[in-house]
Amino acid sequence: MTTPTTTVPIPPVGAVEHTTCCEYCPVACGYRVYTWPLGTSGGMTAAENALGRDLPLGPLAGGWISENMHTVVEVGGERQNCVVLPDPDADVVNVAGSHSVRGGALAQKLFRVDGPTADRLLTPQLRVNGNLVPIPWDTALDLVARLSLTTIERYGELAWGMKCYSYEFLENTYAATKLALASIGTPNYSPHHAPAEGDDVPGLSDAGIDAFSAAFVDDRAAEVLFIAGSDPYETKSVRFTDWQVAGGAKIVYVDPRRTFTADYAERGGGLHLQLRPGTDTCLYNALVLLILENGWEDREFVESLATRAELDAESKWRRVEYGRTRDELLGYLRSDADFTPEGAEKVSGVPASKIRQAAELLSGGAGPQPLTSVLFEKGVYWTHNYENTAAIANLGIVLGASGREGRATSRMGGHQRGGQKAASYPLDKSPHSVDGHPVEMDTERWLVEGNTRFRWVVGTNWISAMAGTGNLRRRVHELTHMGPQVTSTDPATALAQLTARMDAGGMVLVHQEIYANESTAFADIVLPAATWGEEDFTRANAERRLRLYQGFMDAPGESRPDWQIFAEVGQRMGFDGFDWADSNAVFEESAKRSSGSRKDYSALVELAQAQGRRAHDFLGDLGTTGLQAPLRIEGGELIETVRLHEDLRFKSGSGKANFVMPDWSRVRDRNEVLSPRTDKGEVWVLNGRVNALWNNLSDFSRRPLAAERWPMNPLEVNPADALDWGLEAGDLVSVECDDVLDQIGGTGPGGFTAVVYPTDIVPRGVTYTYFLFPGSAANNVTPADTSLQPLSLRYPFKLGRGRLRRLGVSGAVAGMSFASRNRAPGGVTDHDHATDHDQ
Amino acid sequence: MSLTRREFVFLGAAGGAAAAAGVILPVGLSWDRDEDGEVTALVLQYPEVVVGSYLELEIGTPSTFEYPAPGQPNVLARLGMPAEHGIGPEEDLVAFSSLCTHMGCPVTEFQSDEGVLGPCPCHFTSFDLAHDGQPAIGQATQRLPRVLLRLDGDEIVATGLRRHVYGYADNLQGVGVELLQSS
Ligand code: SF4
Ligand code: FES
Repeated sequence: MTTPTTTVPIPPVGAVEHTTCCEYCPVACGYRVYTWPLGTSGGMTAAENALGRDLPLGPLAGGWISENMHTVVEVGGERQNCVVLPDPDADVVNVAGSHSVRGGALAQKLFRVDGPTADRLLTPQLRVNGNLVPIPWDTALDLVARLSLTTIERYGELAWGMKCYSYEFLENTYAATKLALASIGTPNYSPHHAPAEGDDVPGLSDAGIDAFSAAFVDDRAAEVLFIAGSDPYETKSVRFTDWQVAGGAKIVYVDPRRTFTADYAERGGGLHLQLRPGTDTCLYNALVLLILENGWEDREFVESLATRAELDAESKWRRVEYGRTRDELLGYLRSDADFTPEGAEKVSGVPASKIRQAAELLSGGAGPQPLTSVLFEKGVYWTHNYENTAAIANLGIVLGASGREGRATSRMGGHQRGGQKAASYPLDKSPHSVDGHPVEMDTERWLVEGNTRFRWVVGTNWISAMAGTGNLRRRVHELTHMGPQVTSTDPATALAQLTARMDAGGMVLVHQEIYANESTAFADIVLPAATWGEEDFTRANAERRLRLYQGFMDAPGESRPDWQIFAEVGQRMGFDGFDWADSNAVFEESAKRSSGSRKDYSALVELAQAQGRRAHDFLGDLGTTGLQAPLRIEGGELIETVRLHEDLRFKSGSGKANFVMPDWSRVRDRNEVLSPRTDKGEVWVLNGRVNALWNNLSDFSRRPLAAERWPMNPLEVNPADALDWGLEAGDLVSVECDDVLDQIGGTGPGGFTAVVYPTDIVPRGVTYTYFLFPGSAANNVTPADTSLQPLSLRYPFKLGRGRLRRLGVSGAVAGMSFASRNRAPGGVTDHDHATDHDQ
Repeated sequence: MSLTRREFVFLGAAGGAAAAAGVILPVGLSWDRDEDGEVTALVLQYPEVVVGSYLELEIGTPSTFEYPAPGQPNVLARLGMPAEHGIGPEEDLVAFSSLCTHMGCPVTEFQSDEGVLGPCPCHFTSFDLAHDGQPAIGQATQRLPRVLLRLDGDEIVATGLRRHVYGYADNLQGVGVELLQSS
């Protein structure tokens, strides 16, 4: 028997070429897309293929097409070969074609009639007698418009709500907010990841520091990187491998889990500060105090901070109230013994000696100051939101980590930056306040209380993505089953029945999506959206780099880009300014609103228009390089901005930065409420991403490579705990909590199932799971009561708790690897089996 | 052997008649047939090459070999645990291409306690050899190509590859690629 060869089609000379960027993480690597007729292939020599390269390629050459980089799509109604290739010619971000497992297999995301993505939503649908049935666009759009008008007329605009992704392209978020915020003017609008609009990192903002001030070149230039609350190898992979690792910085890594990055950091002469969940504020306070007491701070920078008089003159009440001068902060830090190294060890579990070493490494101690950057993400701000972001801002400030090469204090980002609002949030209409100051509406509380009659969910598995999922699901079920259900596809009947439901105190749900998910199960009307690759869109990445994401294939079925759906409904509701010709027209209009923001692209549109060109074309010509915002015009030229705060001016009235009150006592009280209760047999149920998956898995559950690696939601359990609890790799467990805090301050049961993955990534007493696995959302056990954090209305998503119950052996995991995922190069060491402490 | 695109087409065209006449093909080529057994194309086939001795291969200490062309590195290992597609009395004998399916760096570190090849020195992908080369963690977009093996007594014979080797569009063709001869 002979074995035939294995081949993947090569784009031939003449294949159609487009550029785009990765759909997933905030790094936004550049990609090149080739489409060409089926049944043809390029040859092995540079002259015979569109890559212009001889095959085979050598290591790190860029341009190799793996099996998962090829698919078949429809272009102009004709089936064609399609290759989505990490751009081998990229000169920024993913230089020379670097990529991760997520973006590398982008081709598998694309709609393919004979593939796993064939179940895309293809037509608008209406729930009739309990089932979703196809209806024409006209009917669907009319219904949405009429129901919206009725809601506003009968119950006011606060009863009309929209839950919308904050990132899925500037054109779409602009059109969505033009409808919701500008035209309807509702405060009942919130992003996919939070119950309320507003700042995700308020402590950092109150210090005057922009959340995305850093550039990737700064990661490479830095000599020391403080990385907290995010595992960059797994979640921002190319930024880690090609910028952070490539620069050779020593890494001080803060995470309750001993991840790959933790192991890498320690093997490279850095430190892993393995803190107990929820103790960041105390640990950062201890570091800041050590640095200040020893005189290791960047004195010049600290001396440039705002004075008390300047703070008092600020217009933003939070800065007046929580802004601190050096002396005020020092006074506070000296007042609590928890901030001594030994005190912080007791609280956080991080040995005092390591805290001292970290302070010295970060600041240079008595020696010269290294170039240090402070980078963080959700582990920091989706726990104790205000206090942690204040404490980490203070650390950045004492280190002078701002506005200079290799020195930044910045978020690393969760997803890309594709939000552009068409109007300011109408804070004055919000029913919620703190200390007499209005805050954004907690839209989930508002809905659970029964005040939302109409909710339009756009591009998110909303119910599973919000904390306290169990209660939210129960309540949505109630509200959508109150009063009549639709019994006919006749538009007038459907309209009357849905209106009667609203009159009975119920809620109508519209879901605009690319695939059906758990939230679609409650939808009355489903609108199929076109997405990445199916329309020209623009977006920025975590270093504010704007690129055009070109459309290169047909959108499936009758699906339409989101901006078009908003435009259609806006027009039908009688609003002006929704008659855009194409996505470029939306982009050009949105530019004005970007003015003064970190991704200000108004200059780009201005210059393009002056040259008589479409702004999309102008940006498209810059391929995967794009432009780093904010942009301005000088002498007729576009000028980019590498890093923010280079002039050492900050986002405050005085233009100066300041310390912010890192109130540990509030955190201590909150930890009392949130910690696992040993008498109930509970453990921490932390959650986040894993390398091979992304978000709600809409793409990844349909991608064999990912689905084989993670056929079920994993639950990391420390091997010693697993032994004590009688659990083995591959066991199915139920994670349960009797009294999950809900949206209105009550409690209720919640739980999810997962498969046990024994690993020393987690210390004893701590488990970790994927945050948004379909049918198994960690949010079933995360607290949803924003009164715990009234300053910023953010959920402590990361701080779930529950007890484990073994259900049996899972049959779904045959073929799934349970190998270690946290071994950096260099062989097994004692570290692989040691943690600093048990919880 | 290396086959240019033109030769491939030429042989394909000539071969159709040859196949019908029952002509024996040159070494390294085979017919691709559709469901009805009709010849549809002429394709290259893998050489069969002895790549090691079962008795000399120690558990947990992989050896390396080049296949199907000189310079193409592979690892041959007895994992000491039953492996998916493992052969031999303990079903623990496997072989894989050791060019990382991320961006092609040779992976040499082996974690004998878990049967894992990696982390790759370039971007740290680790491949679980007991689970058919599945990336346990890392940036590779496909499993490692598995070398098909046969045991002839003590001789370990490589007979082909499953999946796509880094750098190649066709595992058996490329500029300057000369396949090994079957032994
Ligand atoms: S690192 Fe991020 S942006 Fe780059 S390919 Fe991976 S997921 Fe996409
Ligand atoms: S080449 Fe091996 S991980 Fe990148």
